[in-house]
Amino acid sequence: MQEKVEKFIVPIGPQHPALKEPGHFEFSVDGEEVTGATIRLGFVHRGIEKMTESRTWIQNLYMLERVCGICSHVHGIAYTLGVEKLAGVTVPPRAQAIRTIVLELERIQSHMLWLGVAAHEGGFDTLFMYSWRDRETVMDLFELISGNRVQHSVNLVGGVKYDITPEQKQKVLDGLNYLEGRIQYYEKIITTDDTFLGRTRNVGKMTKEEATLLGAVGPTARASGVERDVRVESPYASYPGHPVNIVLDEGGDLTSRFIVRIREMFESIRVIREILTNLPESELTVRVPRRIPAGEVISRVEAPRGELFYYIKSAGGENPYRIKIRTPSLCNWGTISSVAVGHKLADMPMLLVGIDPCFSCNDRLVTVRKETSSQTMYWEDLRKYGVEYYQ
Amino acid sequence: METEKLFTIAEALLKPWAKEYKRPDENRLDVYLVREDLLEAVAELAQARWGYLSAISGVDLVPPAQDGTGENQEGRLEVLYHFCNSAAVLSLRIEIPYSDAHVPSVCGIIPSATIYERELMELFGITVVDTPVPDHLVLPDDWPDGVFPLRKSFTGFDSPQAQES
Repeated sequence: MQEKVEKFIVPIGPQHPALKEPGHFEFSVDGEEVTGATIRLGFVHRGIEKMTESRTWIQNLYMLERVCGICSHVHGIAYTLGVEKLAGVTVPPRAQAIRTIVLELERIQSHMLWLGVAAHEGGFDTLFMYSWRDRETVMDLFELISGNRVQHSVNLVGGVKYDITPEQKQKVLDGLNYLEGRIQYYEKIITTDDTFLGRTRNVGKMTKEEATLLGAVGPTARASGVERDVRVESPYASYPGHPVNIVLDEGGDLTSRFIVRIREMFESIRVIREILTNLPESELTVRVPRRIPAGEVISRVEAPRGELFYYIKSAGGENPYRIKIRTPSLCNWGTISSVAVGHKLADMPMLLVGIDPCFSCNDRLVTVRKETSSQTMYWEDLRKYGVEYYQ
Repeated sequence: METEKLFTIAEALLKPWAKEYKRPDENRLDVYLVREDLLEAVAELAQARWGYLSAISGVDLVPPAQDGTGENQEGRLEVLYHFCNSAAVLSLRIEIPYSDAHVPSVCGIIPSATIYERELMELFGITVVDTPVPDHLVLPDDWPDGVFPLRKSFTGFDSPQAQES
């Protein structure tokens, strides 16, 4: 007689499941082994797509840069490239170059941050502290260029705000030299350290076919040998003149995801050096009309986590008619629920960080829960609440 | 050119169902379809391995302002299925009226479409028939039924759309 087997479900989250961000997972387990996984997101959903419809084209740039704190620049790029195309303007070459330099610096910053978080989940806190210490180098470079460490806000619709002076250029190059040495050291560790390899090798294996089918993007896909990189496939900004070499690995496991991200940092360093030494002379901005002609545009860029997709529709007014943002993390979540099956519960945190998930990527209304009731707050209320709270 | 070649292939694949082709941009091809043909067209693309489903966008097309003389037009929703293949972006476009807002699920062909379909359901109020998981994805569990934030009629909880439900 077959015994009826009850599913045992381990809920993880929504408070900080492996990451310092909210997401809720339910893993059904058979002993230690995971047999299924479901994901619930939206704990920090902010309704940004809706908000864009009531703001001007200029205001939206500043809001969209705040979709994510880790990759703020790339959201600005996807948006400005789209709006500039609709407006029919071409950004001067120097502005393009500066945008690309910041894009690649941001990629290094994001990958370093990820390396730290991933090392921490693997119980390797020394590597976590090392990589976050070294990441400060990039953060200082951001501050040097734009005056801001996190929200660099380099973009304008129609160009960039900041120039790179010869002194700044030298400081950026010095910073990159230091980082290159450090990243070489990290590469050595992640490929040779036995304890670390024990946590990553053959964990979360995803074949090329699976990655394609599940719609993986970015380093997660490239670590399974899928040739997907918007910088290569459909170059934008300065990439047509300074092509990027795609970084692939065939392993498909966590080790490969580490290797791909580490090697991408070398590639970013190479590209930044190349652009910095050939920095074109030109204006930094071009005039863009306040009303954007009616039309629609699709803008794709390669964020640190993979392809970022913007669909922008204008009805010819001062505000956009619709902006759809599809962030890379959303694509990669799909891989988790299938890859998790068959692994030990203890591997889940590592698997989760393996895709470098970004929650602000996905969740863009706020529900404030009080003891007795829950109240939904909108932008105006939140603003008022915030102003009153801090008075 | 590579992109042109890809579009020629896509046009040939979608010929039986395409109502109209448009080239809004050198990297883009828009193919207008009716809802009933969507699944066959998507299956054909998937079988030929033409790119990957990059996103599904919903758009609320509100009726033009009534001037008192025209017919009372109903608003429509547009759903765009964006497929990317290298630099080429192919969008399959279908339009549906408010009163009959449903589309078939493409998850049977492309499993990763589930998240986009859930978004369509909760944010636009488009019923996706046979989608594997119809639960909320980004909105809170206690979000009221029948309130769809990305419809133009929704302007907050004091909007007529929210009051009605």
